[in-house]
Amino acid sequence: MAKSYLEITQDGLWKNNPALVQLLGLCPLLAVTGTVVNALGLGMATMLVLTGSNIAVSLIRNFVPESVRLPAFVMIIASFVTCAELLMQAYTYELYEILGIFIPLIVTNCAILGRADAFASKNPILPSALDGFMMGLGFTLVLILLGGIRELIGQGTLFTGMDLLFGETAKNWQLNVIQDYPNFLFAVLPPGAFVGMGFIIALKNIIDNRMKRSAEMKKDKVAAGSKRVRVTGSIS
Amino acid sequence: MRQTWDFHGGIHPPENKTQSTQQSIRKAGIPQYLYLPLSQHIGQPAAPVVAIGQQVKKGDMIAEAVGPVSVPVHAPTSGTVIAIEDHQVPHPSGLTDSCIVIETDGLDEWKECIPCENYEELEPAEILERVRQAGIAGLGGAGFPTAIKLHPPRNDKVNSLILNAAECEPYITADDMLMRERAHEVIGGLEIMAFILQPEECLIGIEDNKPEAVAALREAAKDTQIEIVVIPTKYPSGGEKQLIKILTGLEVPNGHIPADIGVMCQNVGTSAAVYRAIRHGEPLVSRITTVTGEAVEQPANFETLLGTPLSFLLNQAGFNAAKASRVLMGGPMMGFALTSTDIPVVKTTNCLLAATQKEFPEPPPEQPCIRCGMCAEACPAELLPQQLFWFAKAQEFEKAEMHNLFDCIECGACSYVCPSSIPLVQYYRYSKSQIRIARLDQEKSDKARERFEFRQTRLQREQEEKEAKRKARAEAAAKAQAARAAEAQAAEDPKKAAVAEAVKRAQAKRQQQAAPEVDLAELESNVQKAKDKLTKVEASLQQAEAEQSDMAEKLRNAVAKNRDRLAFAEQALADARKQSSDTSTTASSASLPAQDSEQLQRSIKRQEDKIATLQNAINDTRNSDPDRANQLQPTLDKSLARLAELKAALGATAPDTPEEQAGPDLEQLQSQVDKAKDKLAMMQGMLEEAQAEDPVDDAKVSKLTRAVEKNHERLAAAEKSLKNAKQQAQQIPGQAKSSPEELEALRNNIDKARDKLVMMQGMLEEAQAESPTDESKIAKLTRAVEKNQERLKAAETAYQNAGGESVDIVN
Amino acid sequence: MALLQITSPHLRGTNRTASVMQWVLLATLPGFVALIWFFGWGVLINVAWAVLLAIGAEATVLRLRKRPVMFYLSDYSALVTAVLLGLALPPFTPWWVTAVGVLFAIVISKQLYGGLGSNPFNPAMVGYALLLVSFPVEMTTHWATPSTLAVQPDFLQTLTYIFTGGGVNIDGVTMATPLDTYKHQVDILTREELTQLPVFGQHVALGWEWVNLGFLAGGLALLWRKIITWHIPVSMLLSLTACSLIIGWDPDQYTPVSIHLLSGATMLGAFFIATDPVTAATSRLGKLYYGAGIGILVYIIRTWGGYPDAVAFAVLLMNFAAPFLDHYTKPRTYGHRKAHRGIKKAD
Repeated sequence: MAKSYLEITQDGLWKNNPALVQLLGLCPLLAVTGTVVNALGLGMATMLVLTGSNIAVSLIRNFVPESVRLPAFVMIIASFVTCAELLMQAYTYELYEILGIFIPLIVTNCAILGRADAFASKNPILPSALDGFMMGLGFTLVLILLGGIRELIGQGTLFTGMDLLFGETAKNWQLNVIQDYPNFLFAVLPPGAFVGMGFIIALKNIIDNRMKRSAEMKKDKVAAGSKRVRVTGSIS
Repeated sequence: MRQTWDFHGGIHPPENKTQSTQQSIRKAGIPQYLYLPLSQHIGQPAAPVVAIGQQVKKGDMIAEAVGPVSVPVHAPTSGTVIAIEDHQVPHPSGLTDSCIVIETDGLDEWKECIPCENYEELEPAEILERVRQAGIAGLGGAGFPTAIKLHPPRNDKVNSLILNAAECEPYITADDMLMRERAHEVIGGLEIMAFILQPEECLIGIEDNKPEAVAALREAAKDTQIEIVVIPTKYPSGGEKQLIKILTGLEVPNGHIPADIGVMCQNVGTSAAVYRAIRHGEPLVSRITTVTGEAVEQPANFETLLGTPLSFLLNQAGFNAAKASRVLMGGPMMGFALTSTDIPVVKTTNCLLAATQKEFPEPPPEQPCIRCGMCAEACPAELLPQQLFWFAKAQEFEKAEMHNLFDCIECGACSYVCPSSIPLVQYYRYSKSQIRIARLDQEKSDKARERFEFRQTRLQREQEEKEAKRKARAEAAAKAQAARAAEAQAAEDPKKAAVAEAVKRAQAKRQQQAAPEVDLAELESNVQKAKDKLTKVEASLQQAEAEQSDMAEKLRNAVAKNRDRLAFAEQALADARKQSSDTSTTASSASLPAQDSEQLQRSIKRQEDKIATLQNAINDTRNSDPDRANQLQPTLDKSLARLAELKAALGATAPDTPEEQAGPDLEQLQSQVDKAKDKLAMMQGMLEEAQAEDPVDDAKVSKLTRAVEKNHERLAAAEKSLKNAKQQAQQIPGQAKSSPEELEALRNNIDKARDKLVMMQGMLEEAQAESPTDESKIAKLTRAVEKNQERLKAAETAYQNAGGESVDIVN
Repeated sequence: MALLQITSPHLRGTNRTASVMQWVLLATLPGFVALIWFFGWGVLINVAWAVLLAIGAEATVLRLRKRPVMFYLSDYSALVTAVLLGLALPPFTPWWVTAVGVLFAIVISKQLYGGLGSNPFNPAMVGYALLLVSFPVEMTTHWATPSTLAVQPDFLQTLTYIFTGGGVNIDGVTMATPLDTYKHQVDILTREELTQLPVFGQHVALGWEWVNLGFLAGGLALLWRKIITWHIPVSMLLSLTACSLIIGWDPDQYTPVSIHLLSGATMLGAFFIATDPVTAATSRLGKLYYGAGIGILVYIIRTWGGYPDAVAFAVLLMNFAAPFLDHYTKPRTYGHRKAHRGIKKAD
């Protein structure tokens, strides 16, 4: 069970990515990734909650009785989500308005409860913290990727509205990639999110298959050289 | 005008019938050799009753019917029987089967036929027997024995007797020509069948593309009550179920036969054959076969002797081998392709289609299904071919079965209309075979589970009985002590003595009740009786299942009950044996009837011969007729068990004459060696003959070569065992008896080896029952069992050599 | 002599998928010609462009999937999808709109589901719905004025407009469809005033009536050749008529029956789109329910929904229901007492 920190990082970012492999937390993924700033905002909130809740769950993992395990975890997660919500309400109000119900809905994000139950409740604090952070980071990266694709195809721009998150100076971060773009509404609406998600997962699978094949080819070469020929004794 | 109904679907392929109706029926002539397969019908193959070299006349019975669902085979012309051997028979698999080969003499002499002017004077049962003895099976293509079909189960009343004159498949015109030229025979046969069945109405269903045949039938039936019903031409209106629906509007329910709804369908060819059999006394020796297709120059219908090689028949019609791309037996929709023309005409051969590449081009590649639904429109069984196709592709066979896959008659209408050229019928055949294989596996695993569960209960029962016995012994010992003490006391007190007496008497009575007299012989006969009854019931169950009668359900229950009874009897016997072996070692030998050692040896020899013949019979019939092989298997087991018993008895009664034992063994082995030598010589002779005659026939040569090798091995094994026995016999008299302590030690070895062997076998059985797929474990355990067997044998041989008593050889 | 070892049946009929598709294409000709006559060259250019893209896209995807390209292209199914989509689009649709629609239809809604026969939704309608949702402006304002009312741009001008967006000021040559007009103006104008509007012409709907009659003729030809069965078109048209007569009997409040039947994509939908065998129900009874469902949905969406023409959405919604309909309308097999409907084991 004890995984090295490298493995935890790899799992969170690629091998066991909550959005692409575990397919958890798809509701916010598909609903708020219309633009990069929305995606980034929700992703950062999720990351914060994941890390915090993993640490907290890991702290109490030896004291909480079996029967109230899950309700206790949900309580912890809800507390962290409330913190995140209040923070967003205070510092990024417009974004808070745009994201609306999806911030409190982070509580129901199965990825968070899943990591709490599968990892944080069985591992010490530091690995749990790293796991939470990496899972959140992986989730956020996918959110940003999908958000970028949808914004690009749907509106022809990138990084619109970054000032909602980063303040006034971020207003000129907006890239108008395509001029006079007739907005492709489909990409902005949920169906586009599904199709985009499907293509991203397909891309990940292609990359995984390529890596596996090249790893196998390397392995074969090694095996071919290591056989020995027996000249005495029974050949079994 | 009689009302007719229509069945769902159907197609209208081009008929192509005029090619073969230009001339009247021609005689095919007499070929030089005739090959009569013993199984030209559904049911048990016929058994030959002629010997090689025997002269036969036309119509002589050369093979008799075996069992109720069977018909005999008759010689189609006069000649000499030259062989009874395997020959390629008409079947899609192209495999071989037993055939009687007759070399014709060209004289075509009939046997003495007994005609019957007035069949109404005969009893219906007598007529049925004559029909059966005439070898008549359904000539329409199925080949079901007509006598059985004409005798409906439970004596159901037949309301409508229908003759199937539809002949819906393209190219086939055999029935058409038969009706045109011999309508009176057809009508005559129908009258005979009507006399047997006494139906309310007799109908002949015929398609409207045969106007001459309709006229001929009407003329022949003008003074009878027979109704000729002309139906529209559509494929497959000649299918039994479809024709019944057209003529009567009734549907044959799923899982039932037409007789269950009071309808019977017979082919016109069968009807004509019945007429000839009853009126003229002629058995079925020839039939009308259409030879057509672009690869024959003069397509026509031929009156063909059964057993005529197809090459001969095709040549009569001007066969052009270069043009032929397919030769089909049957029609283009349901016939099967032949790979060689070296096979004979059988009772169900209604057409030979020699087609060119252009006539039947190779099927185009399969395209994706566009779900157009034309297949469902065309299906005469109102199935959903599209769904069945998707399920077959996805290997979801349970769903296919639920969609009534087994109602498919494989007529080919669906694949005819499919625009994507999907080979639908092939998919359905594949699904059906997969489902059948799954059912067989399920049965096997059910049986294995039953055996395992029974073994568990048996072990448990044995455990309990051991406990009970131990307790009883302990109690007896305690009571004996108490009785002694009581006696000592009773000597002082007379009243106490009386009480002690009464107590002792009661105890004795209780002990007697607890341990009743065990009569091993009685138990053994119980076991034997139960086994016999079980085989009998199983046989009748098989028959009932073949006929699909209601008795099947009752018989299954009976089989289960008998199995339990047999299990219980065997259990009781095993217990009794164990008990008696616990109490005294000689009790087992005392329980068997005392027999002279010579008598025993003779019985042993008889039993071994019987076993050998049974094994050969089983091996021979295993491929051709698995039913028969299964029937013989229990007999073989019985014989093996009996042999073991006899050997045990022999061992018990003759302990100190090892030379005598070796004697008969030597003789036996010697005779085995001689027999093997003879067989080897015969095989080698046959191989040389085959090589000289037909060096190209690779299959035959390789078969014979293999047989020669097998016999070589057999001979080598027999010689080796003979040498060993001789050595043993020489060793035994020369050795002095060892000391009793050494004997005791060797005996202990034997017991230890035996125990270990039993334990290993138990573990193997458990492993086989629990995890039959764990091959490595099973292989390991099997090897352990074998090793222990060898160890046990070695221990026993050592013991014997040391001069000890010979003991039972436990397997 | 080497004899072919092959199992029965050995005969095949002459019906082929390619010929079915070819007949469908042929049958669209009357309506196609009427469209060009009344609404200009845009239709032809759209169809040609869609066909080119469709074949190219299908060939590319087939090569990626490592399938034999010519074998799968030769069943003409991509062609039919492209033609139907091209016929459904407004004449002045820009090239990139058509491109997006065709690519989505062929690549995602057909090939990614497994190719012909495996797609659950009608590809042409998926493409059309995508375009309607994504580019509402281009899809509603680019309908051409009938040629009897205005002079339409010639071939080259239309070509330039479609591929470059310039050359023609389309405001002068576009106008709303009859369905659109009636739906939005029925609250404002009375029926007499409405029917005076030039868009309705002398009969029912200027230009559109001939287009629909053309597609009706083509559909009847398909029925005669037994390429399609009568169940779906008849049930769809009947249910649409019934809804319109029962609910919308008052032409002062609702669009009258004649406009429902003879304008918009009604006939095209009834005979060519709804009868697509891959996505429709297969049993006869199922087809009746399917067609009726489409008719009812078309009426509902046209009357109370947000879109003037609803055939695409109605067809897609009933595509959802088609497997369910098949499941519950299985015919009774010969020899069984009842049809085995539903999931539980029968008999």
